[in-house]
Amino acid sequence: MTAGVIAPAGTSPEVPAGATPPPRRGWGRARETTANQLFLVPVALVFVVLLVVPLTQTFYWSFTDFTGYSAEVKFVGLSNYGKVLTDPSMLAGLGFTLAFTIGTAVLITMVAIPLAVVLNKKFFARNFVRSVFFFPAIPSIAILGLVWGYILSPLGSGVLNSLLDSLFSAGPYPFLSDATLARVSVIVVAVWGGAGWHAVLYLAYLQSIPADYYEVATIDGASARQQFFHITLPLLTPAIVISNFLLMTGGLKVYDLPFTLTKGGPGYATYTITQSIITSGVAQGRYGLASALAVLFTIAVGLVAVAQLWVSRRIERRVL
Amino acid sequence: MIALACVVGVPLYYIVVNTLKTQEEMARSPLGLPSQLFLDNYRQIFETVPLGRSFVNTLLVTVASILVMLFIGSTAAYAMAMRASRFNRFFGALLLLGFIVPGQSTLIPLYRMLVDVELVDTLRGLVIIYTGGAIFCYFLIQGYISRLPFEIIEAARIDGAGPFQIYWLIVLPLIRPILATVGVFQTMWIWNDFITPSVFLSSPEKSTLVLQVYRSVGEFSTDWPGFMTMSVLVLVPMVVFFVLTQRHIVDGLLAGSVKS
Repeated sequence: MTAGVIAPAGTSPEVPAGATPPPRRGWGRARETTANQLFLVPVALVFVVLLVVPLTQTFYWSFTDFTGYSAEVKFVGLSNYGKVLTDPSMLAGLGFTLAFTIGTAVLITMVAIPLAVVLNKKFFARNFVRSVFFFPAIPSIAILGLVWGYILSPLGSGVLNSLLDSLFSAGPYPFLSDATLARVSVIVVAVWGGAGWHAVLYLAYLQSIPADYYEVATIDGASARQQFFHITLPLLTPAIVISNFLLMTGGLKVYDLPFTLTKGGPGYATYTITQSIITSGVAQGRYGLASALAVLFTIAVGLVAVAQLWVSRRIERRVL
Repeated sequence: MIALACVVGVPLYYIVVNTLKTQEEMARSPLGLPSQLFLDNYRQIFETVPLGRSFVNTLLVTVASILVMLFIGSTAAYAMAMRASRFNRFFGALLLLGFIVPGQSTLIPLYRMLVDVELVDTLRGLVIIYTGGAIFCYFLIQGYISRLPFEIIEAARIDGAGPFQIYWLIVLPLIRPILATVGVFQTMWIWNDFITPSVFLSSPEKSTLVLQVYRSVGEFSTDWPGFMTMSVLVLVPMVVFFVLTQRHIVDGLLAGSVKS
Protein backbone atom coordinates (compact mmCIF):
# COMPACT_ATOMS: atom_id res chain seq x y z
CA MET A 1 0.00 0.00 0.00
CA THR A 2 1.29 3.48 -0.75
CA ALA A 3 1.30 6.54 1.41
CA GLY A 4 -1.35 8.23 -0.70
CA VAL A 5 -4.01 5.79 0.34
CA ILE A 6 -3.82 6.60 3.98
CA ALA A 7 -2.55 10.15 3.82
CA PRO A 8 -5.84 12.12 3.61
CA ALA A 9 -7.05 11.30 7.09
CA GLY A 10 -3.89 12.39 8.74
CA THR A 11 -2.38 15.14 6.57
CA SER A 12 -1.31 18.01 8.69
CA PRO A 13 -1.80 21.64 7.70
CA GLU A 14 0.73 22.87 5.20
CA VAL A 15 3.76 24.29 6.79
CA PRO A 16 5.77 26.97 5.03
CA ALA A 17 9.39 26.10 4.44
CA GLY A 18 11.68 27.21 7.18
CA ALA A 19 8.98 27.37 9.82
CA THR A 20 9.17 25.10 12.85
CA PRO A 21 5.92 23.14 12.98
CA PRO A 22 5.80 21.45 16.39
CA PRO A 23 4.54 22.18 18.93
CA ARG A 24 1.33 22.44 16.98
CA ARG A 25 -1.41 24.62 18.34
CA GLY A 26 -5.16 24.97 17.95
CA TRP A 27 -6.98 22.91 15.36
CA GLY A 28 -3.96 21.19 13.88
CA ARG A 29 -2.92 19.88 17.21
CA ALA A 30 -6.42 18.87 18.25
CA ARG A 31 -6.85 16.96 15.02
CA GLU A 32 -3.58 15.16 15.47
CA THR A 33 -4.51 14.22 19.01
CA THR A 34 -7.86 12.90 17.84
CA ALA A 35 -6.18 10.91 15.10
CA ASN A 36 -3.76 9.44 17.63
CA GLN A 37 -6.55 8.52 19.98
CA LEU A 38 -8.37 6.80 17.10
CA PHE A 39 -5.64 4.19 17.20
CA LEU A 40 -6.91 3.15 20.60
CA VAL A 41 -10.42 2.39 19.35
CA PRO A 42 -9.78 -1.19 18.19
CA VAL A 43 -8.13 -2.26 21.42
CA ALA A 44 -10.82 -0.50 23.43
CA LEU A 45 -13.46 -2.45 21.50
CA VAL A 46 -11.69 -5.72 22.20
CA PHE A 47 -11.32 -4.78 25.83
CA VAL A 48 -14.99 -3.91 26.29
CA VAL A 49 -16.64 -6.58 24.12
CA LEU A 50 -14.39 -9.52 24.91
CA LEU A 51 -13.49 -8.70 28.49
CA VAL A 52 -15.49 -6.11 30.43
CA VAL A 53 -18.95 -7.15 29.23
CA PRO A 54 -18.51 -10.92 29.66
CA LEU A 55 -16.71 -10.48 32.97
CA THR A 56 -19.58 -8.36 34.26
CA GLN A 57 -22.06 -10.97 33.05
CA THR A 58 -20.18 -13.74 34.80
CA PHE A 59 -20.19 -11.70 37.98
CA TYR A 60 -23.91 -10.91 37.65
CA TRP A 61 -24.95 -14.48 36.83
CA SER A 62 -23.05 -15.80 39.80
CA PHE A 63 -25.72 -14.23 42.03
CA THR A 64 -28.70 -15.52 40.01
CA ASP A 65 -30.40 -18.79 39.12
CA PHE A 66 -30.01 -18.12 35.37
CA THR A 67 -30.22 -21.31 33.33
CA GLY A 68 -29.87 -19.86 29.86
CA TYR A 69 -33.51 -20.43 28.92
CA SER A 70 -35.76 -19.14 31.68
CA ALA A 71 -37.03 -15.63 30.99
CA GLU A 72 -37.23 -14.86 34.67
CA VAL A 73 -33.94 -14.47 36.43
CA LYS A 74 -34.05 -14.45 40.20
CA PHE A 75 -31.38 -13.21 42.55
CA VAL A 76 -30.26 -15.97 44.83
CA GLY A 77 -27.59 -14.09 46.75
CA LEU A 78 -24.56 -16.13 47.68
CA SER A 79 -26.23 -19.53 47.42
CA ASN A 80 -24.33 -20.40 44.21
CA TYR A 81 -21.08 -19.81 46.04
CA GLY A 82 -22.27 -22.04 48.84
CA LYS A 83 -23.16 -24.75 46.32
CA VAL A 84 -19.77 -24.49 44.60
CA LEU A 85 -18.04 -25.16 47.89
CA THR A 86 -20.21 -28.20 48.66
CA ASP A 87 -20.77 -29.73 45.20
CA PRO A 88 -18.65 -32.91 45.16
CA SER A 89 -17.64 -32.64 41.49
CA MET A 90 -16.59 -29.01 41.83
CA LEU A 91 -14.68 -29.72 45.02
CA ALA A 92 -12.96 -32.60 43.27
CA GLY A 93 -12.04 -30.24 40.41
CA LEU A 94 -10.73 -27.70 42.87
CA GLY A 95 -8.71 -30.32 44.73
CA PHE A 96 -7.06 -31.85 41.72
CA THR A 97 -6.36 -28.48 40.10
CA LEU A 98 -4.53 -27.37 43.24
CA ALA A 99 -2.62 -30.65 43.48
CA PHE A 100 -1.70 -30.40 39.81
CA THR A 101 -0.59 -26.77 40.14
CA ILE A 102 1.64 -27.35 43.14
CA GLY A 103 2.90 -30.73 41.91
CA THR A 104 3.93 -29.50 38.48
CA ALA A 105 5.39 -26.23 39.81
CA VAL A 106 7.61 -28.03 42.33
CA LEU A 107 8.65 -30.90 40.05
CA ILE A 108 9.27 -28.81 36.94
CA THR A 109 11.38 -26.35 38.92
CA MET A 110 13.39 -29.21 40.40
CA VAL A 111 13.94 -30.76 36.98
CA ALA A 112 14.34 -27.64 34.87
CA ILE A 113 17.08 -25.88 36.86
CA PRO A 114 19.59 -28.77 36.85
CA LEU A 115 18.62 -29.46 33.25
CA ALA A 116 19.38 -25.85 32.30
CA VAL A 117 22.73 -25.98 34.13
CA VAL A 118 23.68 -29.10 32.18
CA LEU A 119 22.41 -27.75 28.87
CA ASN A 120 24.51 -24.64 29.47
CA LYS A 121 27.73 -26.70 29.43
CA LYS A 122 29.51 -27.49 26.21
CA PHE A 123 29.05 -31.06 25.05
CA PHE A 124 28.57 -33.14 21.94
CA ALA A 125 25.35 -32.42 20.00
CA ARG A 126 24.29 -29.79 22.51
CA ASN A 127 21.86 -27.97 20.24
CA PHE A 128 20.22 -31.21 19.23
CA VAL A 129 19.75 -32.27 22.84
CA ARG A 130 18.33 -28.85 23.68
CA SER A 131 15.83 -29.18 20.87
CA VAL A 132 14.77 -32.64 22.03
CA PHE A 133 13.97 -31.31 25.48
CA PHE A 134 12.19 -28.29 24.13
CA PHE A 135 10.23 -30.29 21.58
CA PRO A 136 7.24 -31.29 23.76
CA ALA A 137 6.42 -27.57 23.99
CA ILE A 138 5.81 -27.42 20.23
CA PRO A 139 2.80 -29.64 19.51
CA SER A 140 -0.57 -29.22 21.12
CA ILE A 141 -0.79 -30.52 24.68
CA ALA A 142 -4.14 -32.02 23.73
CA ILE A 143 -2.52 -34.25 21.12
CA LEU A 144 0.28 -35.21 23.48
CA GLY A 145 -2.38 -36.12 26.02
CA LEU A 146 -4.09 -38.42 23.53
CA VAL A 147 -0.79 -40.06 22.58
CA TRP A 148 0.11 -40.60 26.23
CA GLY A 149 -3.35 -42.03 26.70
CA TYR A 150 -2.37 -44.80 24.31
CA ILE A 151 1.01 -45.28 25.92
CA LEU A 152 -0.35 -45.44 29.47
CA SER A 153 -3.47 -47.40 28.56
CA PRO A 154 -4.37 -49.59 31.53
CA LEU A 155 -5.16 -52.53 29.22
CA GLY A 156 -2.58 -55.27 29.10
CA SER A 157 -1.95 -54.21 25.51
CA GLY A 158 -1.07 -50.63 26.53
CA VAL A 159 2.40 -49.71 25.37
CA LEU A 160 3.99 -49.25 28.75
CA ASN A 161 2.16 -52.23 30.20
CA SER A 162 3.17 -54.55 27.39
CA LEU A 163 6.73 -53.27 27.70
CA LEU A 164 6.76 -53.91 31.46
CA ASP A 165 5.26 -57.30 30.84
CA SER A 166 7.88 -58.39 28.32
CA LEU A 167 10.81 -56.95 30.31
CA PHE A 168 9.90 -57.74 33.90
CA SER A 169 6.70 -59.77 33.44
CA ALA A 170 5.04 -57.24 35.73
CA GLY A 171 1.67 -55.57 35.50
CA PRO A 172 -0.61 -54.66 33.91
CA TYR A 173 -0.78 -51.51 36.02
CA PRO A 174 -3.96 -49.41 36.02
CA PHE A 175 -2.10 -46.18 35.17
CA LEU A 176 -5.20 -44.27 34.14
CA SER A 177 -7.97 -46.23 35.84
CA ASP A 178 -6.76 -46.05 39.43
CA ALA A 179 -7.50 -42.67 41.05
CA THR A 180 -4.07 -42.06 42.57
CA LEU A 181 -2.10 -43.47 39.66
CA ALA A 182 -4.17 -41.41 37.22
CA ARG A 183 -3.39 -38.21 39.15
CA VAL A 184 0.29 -39.08 39.25
CA SER A 185 0.27 -39.97 35.53
CA VAL A 186 -1.24 -36.62 34.56
CA ILE A 187 1.32 -34.72 36.63
CA VAL A 188 4.25 -36.79 35.31
CA VAL A 189 3.19 -36.22 31.70
CA ALA A 190 2.86 -32.50 32.43
CA VAL A 191 6.38 -32.44 33.84
CA TRP A 192 7.64 -34.32 30.77
CA GLY A 193 5.99 -31.73 28.57
CA GLY A 194 6.94 -28.60 30.50
CA ALA A 195 10.44 -29.17 31.91
CA GLY A 196 12.27 -28.43 28.65
CA TRP A 197 10.33 -25.23 28.05
CA HIS A 198 11.16 -23.91 31.50
CA ALA A 199 14.76 -25.08 31.16
CA VAL A 200 15.08 -22.79 28.13
CA LEU A 201 13.79 -19.94 30.28
CA TYR A 202 16.40 -20.69 32.95
CA LEU A 203 19.05 -21.11 30.28
CA ALA A 204 18.57 -17.50 29.17
CA TYR A 205 19.19 -16.29 32.71
CA LEU A 206 22.14 -18.63 33.19
CA GLN A 207 23.81 -17.21 30.11
CA SER A 208 23.68 -13.74 31.63
CA ILE A 209 25.68 -14.80 34.71
CA PRO A 210 29.26 -13.63 34.12
CA ALA A 211 31.75 -16.50 33.81
CA ASP A 212 34.17 -14.58 36.08
CA TYR A 213 32.07 -15.43 39.12
CA TYR A 214 32.71 -19.09 38.57
CA GLU A 215 36.38 -18.55 37.79
CA VAL A 216 36.91 -16.61 41.00
CA ALA A 217 34.98 -19.21 42.98
CA THR A 218 37.05 -22.01 41.46
CA ILE A 219 40.27 -20.21 42.38
CA ASP A 220 38.96 -19.77 45.92
CA GLY A 221 38.43 -23.51 46.02
CA ALA A 222 34.65 -23.67 45.89
CA SER A 223 33.29 -27.03 44.81
CA ALA A 224 30.82 -27.38 41.94
CA ARG A 225 28.11 -28.02 44.50
CA GLN A 226 28.97 -24.86 46.45
CA GLN A 227 29.05 -22.86 43.23
CA PHE A 228 25.60 -24.10 42.32
CA PHE A 229 24.06 -23.23 45.68
CA HIS A 230 25.93 -19.95 46.30
CA ILE A 231 26.21 -18.46 42.81
CA THR A 232 23.84 -20.09 40.36
CA LEU A 233 20.77 -20.50 42.52
CA PRO A 234 20.74 -16.98 44.07
CA LEU A 235 21.29 -15.36 40.68
CA LEU A 236 18.48 -17.44 39.20
CA THR A 237 15.96 -16.13 41.73
CA PRO A 238 14.21 -13.78 39.27
CA ALA A 239 13.87 -16.64 36.80
CA ILE A 240 12.51 -18.92 39.50
CA VAL A 241 9.88 -16.35 40.38
CA ILE A 242 8.82 -15.89 36.76
CA SER A 243 8.86 -19.58 35.92
CA ASN A 244 6.81 -20.43 38.99
CA PHE A 245 4.36 -17.67 38.29
CA LEU A 246 3.80 -19.08 34.81
CA LEU A 247 3.51 -22.58 36.26
CA MET A 248 1.00 -21.47 38.88
CA THR A 249 -1.29 -19.55 36.57
CA GLY A 250 -0.92 -22.19 33.86
CA GLY A 251 -1.60 -24.92 36.41
CA LEU A 252 -4.75 -23.28 37.70
CA LYS A 253 -6.02 -22.95 34.13
CA VAL A 254 -5.14 -26.54 33.18
CA TYR A 255 -7.68 -28.37 31.08
CA ASP A 256 -6.30 -29.92 27.87
CA LEU A 257 -3.97 -32.51 29.36
CA PRO A 258 -6.19 -34.08 32.03
CA PHE A 259 -9.17 -33.93 29.72
CA THR A 260 -7.51 -35.68 26.79
CA LEU A 261 -5.55 -38.12 28.96
CA THR A 262 -8.25 -39.22 31.39
CA LYS A 263 -11.40 -37.18 30.60
CA GLY A 264 -11.26 -36.08 34.23
CA GLY A 265 -11.62 -39.62 35.48
CA PRO A 266 -11.69 -42.15 36.86
CA GLY A 267 -14.75 -40.72 38.55
CA TYR A 268 -13.68 -37.16 39.34
CA ALA A 269 -10.08 -38.04 40.22
CA THR A 270 -8.51 -35.73 37.62
CA TYR A 271 -11.40 -33.32 37.17
CA THR A 272 -10.30 -29.67 36.84
CA ILE A 273 -11.85 -26.29 37.57
CA THR A 274 -11.96 -25.45 33.88
CA GLN A 275 -13.67 -28.71 32.98
CA SER A 276 -16.14 -28.01 35.75
CA ILE A 277 -16.89 -24.54 34.37
CA ILE A 278 -17.36 -25.85 30.83
CA THR A 279 -19.46 -28.85 31.80
CA SER A 280 -21.83 -27.07 34.15
CA GLY A 281 -21.95 -23.82 32.20
CA VAL A 282 -22.01 -24.73 28.53
CA ALA A 283 -23.31 -28.32 28.57
CA GLN A 284 -25.68 -28.37 31.55
CA GLY A 285 -26.86 -24.77 31.50
CA ARG A 286 -26.13 -24.25 35.20
CA TYR A 287 -24.97 -20.70 34.53
CA GLY A 288 -25.24 -19.42 38.06
CA LEU A 289 -23.14 -22.19 39.49
CA ALA A 290 -20.53 -22.13 36.73
CA SER A 291 -20.28 -18.34 37.00
CA ALA A 292 -19.74 -18.48 40.74
CA LEU A 293 -16.93 -20.95 40.19
CA ALA A 294 -15.48 -18.71 37.45
CA VAL A 295 -15.52 -15.70 39.78
CA LEU A 296 -13.71 -17.62 42.53
CA PHE A 297 -11.26 -18.87 39.93
CA THR A 298 -10.56 -15.36 38.62
CA ILE A 299 -9.90 -14.15 42.15
CA ALA A 300 -7.49 -17.03 42.74
CA VAL A 301 -5.54 -16.28 39.56
CA GLY A 302 -5.54 -12.58 40.45
CA LEU A 303 -4.12 -13.36 43.89
CA VAL A 304 -1.31 -15.39 42.36
CA ALA A 305 -0.54 -12.49 40.02
CA VAL A 306 -0.46 -9.99 42.89
CA ALA A 307 1.73 -12.33 44.94
CA GLN A 308 4.13 -12.67 42.02
CA LEU A 309 4.33 -8.87 41.64
CA TRP A 310 4.94 -8.46 45.35
CA VAL A 311 7.64 -11.12 45.47
CA SER A 312 9.50 -9.82 42.44
CA ARG A 313 9.38 -6.24 43.79
CA ARG A 314 10.93 -7.44 47.03
CA ILE A 315 13.62 -9.34 45.19
CA GLU A 316 14.46 -6.35 43.05
CA ARG A 317 14.83 -4.22 46.15
CA ARG A 318 17.09 -6.78 47.79
CA VAL A 319 19.33 -7.02 44.76
CA LEU A 320 19.69 -3.27 44.27
CA MET B 1 22.92 -36.26 29.33
CA ILE B 2 22.29 -37.79 25.98
CA ALA B 3 20.80 -40.78 27.78
CA LEU B 4 18.38 -38.47 29.54
CA ALA B 5 17.46 -36.86 26.26
CA CYS B 6 16.63 -40.33 25.01
CA VAL B 7 14.17 -40.83 27.86
CA VAL B 8 12.34 -37.74 26.69
CA GLY B 9 12.83 -38.59 23.05
CA VAL B 10 11.81 -42.25 23.18
CA PRO B 11 8.08 -41.56 23.16
CA LEU B 12 8.59 -39.43 20.07
CA TYR B 13 10.67 -42.09 18.40
CA TYR B 14 8.13 -44.68 19.41
CA ILE B 15 5.32 -42.76 17.79
CA VAL B 16 7.06 -42.18 14.48
CA VAL B 17 8.52 -45.62 14.06
CA ASN B 18 5.26 -47.41 14.75
CA THR B 19 3.37 -45.56 12.06
CA LEU B 20 5.48 -47.48 9.56
CA LYS B 21 4.49 -50.92 10.87
CA THR B 22 1.46 -53.15 10.72
CA GLN B 23 -0.48 -53.51 13.93
CA GLU B 24 0.74 -57.07 14.21
CA GLU B 25 4.40 -56.08 13.91
CA MET B 26 3.93 -53.25 16.36
CA ALA B 27 2.62 -55.64 18.98
CA ARG B 28 5.55 -57.99 18.35
CA SER B 29 8.35 -55.41 18.55
CA PRO B 30 7.09 -52.03 19.69
CA LEU B 31 10.52 -50.38 19.74
CA GLY B 32 12.25 -52.09 16.82
CA LEU B 33 12.73 -50.56 13.40
CA PRO B 34 10.15 -51.63 10.83
CA SER B 35 11.16 -54.72 8.85
CA GLN B 36 9.84 -53.11 5.71
CA LEU B 37 8.46 -49.72 4.81
CA PHE B 38 4.74 -49.95 5.42
CA LEU B 39 2.77 -46.94 4.26
CA ASP B 40 -0.77 -48.29 4.41
CA ASN B 41 -1.38 -46.45 7.68
CA TYR B 42 -0.81 -43.14 5.95
CA ARG B 43 -2.95 -44.09 2.98
CA GLN B 44 -5.75 -45.19 5.27
CA ILE B 45 -5.70 -42.02 7.37
CA PHE B 46 -6.06 -39.82 4.34
CA GLU B 47 -9.01 -41.90 3.22
CA THR B 48 -10.88 -41.96 6.54
CA VAL B 49 -10.07 -38.69 8.34
CA PRO B 50 -10.64 -35.33 6.61
CA LEU B 51 -7.28 -33.95 7.71
CA GLY B 52 -6.91 -31.73 4.64
CA ARG B 53 -10.07 -29.81 5.41
CA SER B 54 -9.24 -29.34 9.08
CA PHE B 55 -5.78 -28.22 8.06
CA VAL B 56 -7.30 -25.51 5.87
CA ASN B 57 -9.70 -24.52 8.66
CA THR B 58 -6.86 -24.20 11.15
CA LEU B 59 -4.75 -22.25 8.69
CA LEU B 60 -7.56 -19.79 7.93
CA VAL B 61 -8.38 -19.21 11.58
CA THR B 62 -4.75 -18.82 12.57
CA VAL B 63 -3.79 -16.42 9.79
CA ALA B 64 -6.91 -14.26 10.21
CA SER B 65 -6.57 -14.11 14.00
CA ILE B 66 -2.88 -13.25 13.88
CA LEU B 67 -3.39 -10.44 11.37
CA VAL B 68 -6.23 -8.91 13.38
CA MET B 69 -4.34 -9.27 16.64
CA LEU B 70 -1.15 -7.71 15.33
CA PHE B 71 -3.10 -4.84 13.82
CA ILE B 72 -4.97 -4.08 17.04
CA GLY B 73 -1.94 -4.60 19.25
CA SER B 74 0.34 -2.40 17.16
CA THR B 75 -2.15 0.46 16.72
CA ALA B 76 -2.77 0.51 20.46
CA ALA B 77 0.93 0.45 21.26
CA TYR B 78 1.51 3.23 18.75
CA ALA B 79 -1.19 5.43 20.27
CA MET B 80 0.24 4.94 23.74
CA ALA B 81 3.73 5.81 22.54
CA MET B 82 2.55 8.98 20.81
CA ARG B 83 0.61 10.39 23.71
CA ALA B 84 1.24 9.69 27.37
CA SER B 85 -1.76 11.57 28.69
CA ARG B 86 -3.19 10.69 32.06
CA PHE B 87 -6.16 8.99 30.40
CA ASN B 88 -3.91 6.86 28.22
CA ARG B 89 -1.79 5.79 31.13
CA PHE B 90 -4.89 4.86 33.08
CA PHE B 91 -6.24 2.91 30.13
CA GLY B 92 -2.92 1.13 29.76
CA ALA B 93 -3.07 0.06 33.39
CA LEU B 94 -6.64 -1.10 32.85
CA LEU B 95 -5.55 -3.25 29.93
CA LEU B 96 -3.32 -5.11 32.35
CA LEU B 97 -6.56 -6.62 33.58
CA GLY B 98 -6.96 -8.34 30.24
CA PHE B 99 -3.57 -9.83 30.81
CA ILE B 100 -4.46 -11.38 34.14
CA VAL B 101 -8.09 -12.43 33.72
CA PRO B 102 -8.10 -16.07 32.57
CA GLY B 103 -10.10 -17.00 29.49
CA GLN B 104 -12.18 -19.44 31.51
CA SER B 105 -13.90 -16.68 33.42
CA THR B 106 -15.36 -15.08 30.30
CA LEU B 107 -16.02 -18.33 28.44
CA ILE B 108 -19.70 -18.81 29.23
CA PRO B 109 -20.85 -15.25 28.46
CA LEU B 110 -18.78 -15.26 25.28
CA TYR B 111 -20.40 -18.50 24.25
CA ARG B 112 -23.84 -16.98 24.73
CA MET B 113 -22.76 -13.83 22.92
CA LEU B 114 -21.74 -15.83 19.87
CA VAL B 115 -25.00 -17.78 20.04
CA ASP B 116 -26.91 -14.48 20.04
CA VAL B 117 -25.15 -13.14 16.96
CA GLU B 118 -25.28 -16.57 15.29
CA LEU B 119 -21.52 -16.90 15.08
CA VAL B 120 -21.18 -19.93 17.28
CA ASP B 121 -19.92 -22.93 15.31
CA THR B 122 -18.35 -20.71 12.66
CA LEU B 123 -14.70 -20.07 11.95
CA ARG B 124 -15.39 -16.33 12.01
CA GLY B 125 -16.71 -16.64 15.55
CA LEU B 126 -13.52 -18.43 16.54
CA VAL B 127 -11.43 -15.59 15.10
CA ILE B 128 -13.43 -13.10 17.18
CA ILE B 129 -12.66 -15.04 20.35
CA TYR B 130 -8.96 -15.19 19.51
CA THR B 131 -8.92 -11.44 18.92
CA GLY B 132 -8.83 -11.14 22.71
CA GLY B 133 -5.15 -12.12 22.40
CA ALA B 134 -4.54 -8.63 21.00
CA ILE B 135 -4.09 -7.34 24.53
CA PHE B 136 -1.12 -9.64 25.04
CA CYS B 137 0.30 -8.47 21.69
CA TYR B 138 -0.17 -4.89 22.78
CA PHE B 139 2.00 -5.31 25.86
CA LEU B 140 4.87 -6.92 24.00
CA ILE B 141 4.76 -4.42 21.14
CA GLN B 142 4.43 -1.49 23.52
CA GLY B 143 7.57 -2.61 25.35
CA TYR B 144 9.42 -2.68 22.04
CA ILE B 145 8.13 0.67 20.76
CA SER B 146 9.11 2.42 23.97
CA ARG B 147 12.73 1.47 23.28
CA LEU B 148 12.71 2.84 19.72
CA PRO B 149 14.57 6.11 19.10
CA PHE B 150 11.75 8.62 19.26
CA GLU B 151 13.74 11.10 17.10
CA ILE B 152 12.72 9.18 14.00
CA ILE B 153 9.05 9.78 14.68
CA GLU B 154 9.74 13.38 15.66
CA ALA B 155 11.62 13.93 12.40
CA ALA B 156 8.73 12.51 10.38
CA ARG B 157 6.34 14.80 12.17
CA ILE B 158 8.45 17.82 11.41
CA ASP B 159 8.42 16.73 7.78
CA GLY B 160 4.64 16.95 7.96
CA ALA B 161 3.68 13.29 8.20
CA GLY B 162 0.30 12.65 9.82
CA PRO B 163 -0.32 10.01 12.48
CA PHE B 164 -1.51 7.41 9.96
CA GLN B 165 1.50 7.93 7.74
CA ILE B 166 3.85 7.68 10.70
CA TYR B 167 2.19 4.47 11.83
CA TRP B 168 2.17 2.81 8.43
CA LEU B 169 5.42 4.06 6.91
CA ILE B 170 7.68 4.47 9.90
CA VAL B 171 6.56 2.58 12.96
CA LEU B 172 5.32 -0.63 11.34
CA PRO B 173 8.57 -1.29 9.44
CA LEU B 174 10.58 -0.49 12.57
CA ILE B 175 8.69 -2.92 14.78
CA ARG B 176 8.84 -5.82 12.34
CA PRO B 177 11.08 -7.92 14.65
CA ILE B 178 8.64 -7.81 17.56
CA LEU B 179 5.70 -8.39 15.21
CA ALA B 180 7.42 -11.57 14.03
CA THR B 181 8.11 -12.72 17.56
CA VAL B 182 4.61 -12.01 18.81
CA GLY B 183 3.07 -13.48 15.66
CA VAL B 184 5.01 -16.71 16.00
CA PHE B 185 4.18 -16.95 19.67
CA GLN B 186 0.47 -16.45 19.12
CA THR B 187 0.47 -18.83 16.15
CA MET B 188 1.65 -21.58 18.47
CA TRP B 189 -1.20 -20.78 20.81
CA ILE B 190 -3.97 -20.70 18.23
CA TRP B 191 -2.74 -23.61 16.15
CA ASN B 192 -2.46 -25.82 19.23
CA ASP B 193 -5.49 -24.53 21.08
CA PHE B 194 -7.96 -27.17 22.12
CA ILE B 195 -10.30 -25.53 24.60
CA THR B 196 -11.72 -22.80 22.34
CA PRO B 197 -12.57 -24.94 19.31
CA SER B 198 -13.91 -27.72 21.52
CA VAL B 199 -16.33 -25.29 23.15
CA PHE B 200 -17.28 -23.17 20.14
CA LEU B 201 -17.25 -25.59 17.20
CA SER B 202 -19.63 -28.49 16.86
CA SER B 203 -19.92 -29.32 13.14
CA PRO B 204 -17.35 -31.93 12.09
CA GLU B 205 -16.59 -30.11 8.83
CA LYS B 206 -15.45 -27.01 10.73
CA SER B 207 -13.04 -28.81 13.04
CA THR B 208 -9.54 -27.53 13.53
CA LEU B 209 -6.73 -30.06 13.39
CA VAL B 210 -6.42 -30.61 17.11
CA LEU B 211 -10.17 -30.99 17.48
CA GLN B 212 -10.28 -33.37 14.53
CA VAL B 213 -7.68 -35.59 16.15
CA TYR B 214 -9.59 -35.57 19.40
CA ARG B 215 -12.86 -36.45 17.72
CA SER B 216 -11.36 -39.23 15.62
CA VAL B 217 -9.77 -41.00 18.57
CA GLY B 218 -12.90 -43.08 19.07
CA GLU B 219 -12.59 -44.53 15.58
CA PHE B 220 -9.20 -45.98 16.42
CA SER B 221 -10.14 -47.65 19.70
CA THR B 222 -7.27 -50.15 19.46
CA ASP B 223 -5.86 -49.25 16.06
CA TRP B 224 -2.76 -47.67 17.55
CA PRO B 225 -0.67 -47.37 14.42
CA GLY B 226 -3.63 -45.60 12.82
CA PHE B 227 -3.86 -43.13 15.64
CA MET B 228 -0.12 -42.55 15.81
CA THR B 229 -0.05 -41.94 12.08
CA MET B 230 -2.67 -39.26 12.43
CA SER B 231 -0.71 -37.63 15.27
CA VAL B 232 2.47 -37.61 13.21
CA LEU B 233 0.68 -36.03 10.26
CA VAL B 234 -0.72 -33.33 12.52
CA LEU B 235 2.66 -32.72 14.11
CA VAL B 236 4.49 -32.25 10.80
CA PRO B 237 3.33 -28.67 10.08
CA MET B 238 4.17 -27.68 13.65
CA VAL B 239 7.63 -29.19 13.46
CA VAL B 240 8.34 -27.42 10.17
CA PHE B 241 7.10 -24.19 11.72
CA PHE B 242 9.30 -24.77 14.76
CA VAL B 243 12.42 -25.39 12.70
CA LEU B 244 11.82 -22.23 10.69
CA THR B 245 11.01 -19.98 13.62
CA GLN B 246 12.92 -21.49 16.54
CA ARG B 247 14.68 -18.22 17.33
CA HIS B 248 11.42 -16.29 17.49
CA ILE B 249 9.81 -18.91 19.68
CA VAL B 250 12.54 -18.67 22.26
CA ASP B 251 12.52 -14.85 22.03
CA GLY B 252 8.77 -14.83 22.50
CA LEU B 253 9.05 -17.20 25.43
CA LEU B 254 11.48 -14.84 27.13
CA ALA B 255 9.71 -11.62 26.21
CA GLY B 256 6.35 -13.03 27.22
CA SER B 257 7.56 -14.33 30.53
CA VAL B 258 9.51 -11.24 31.50
CA LYS B 259 6.57 -9.05 30.61
CA SER B 260 4.10 -10.96 32.69
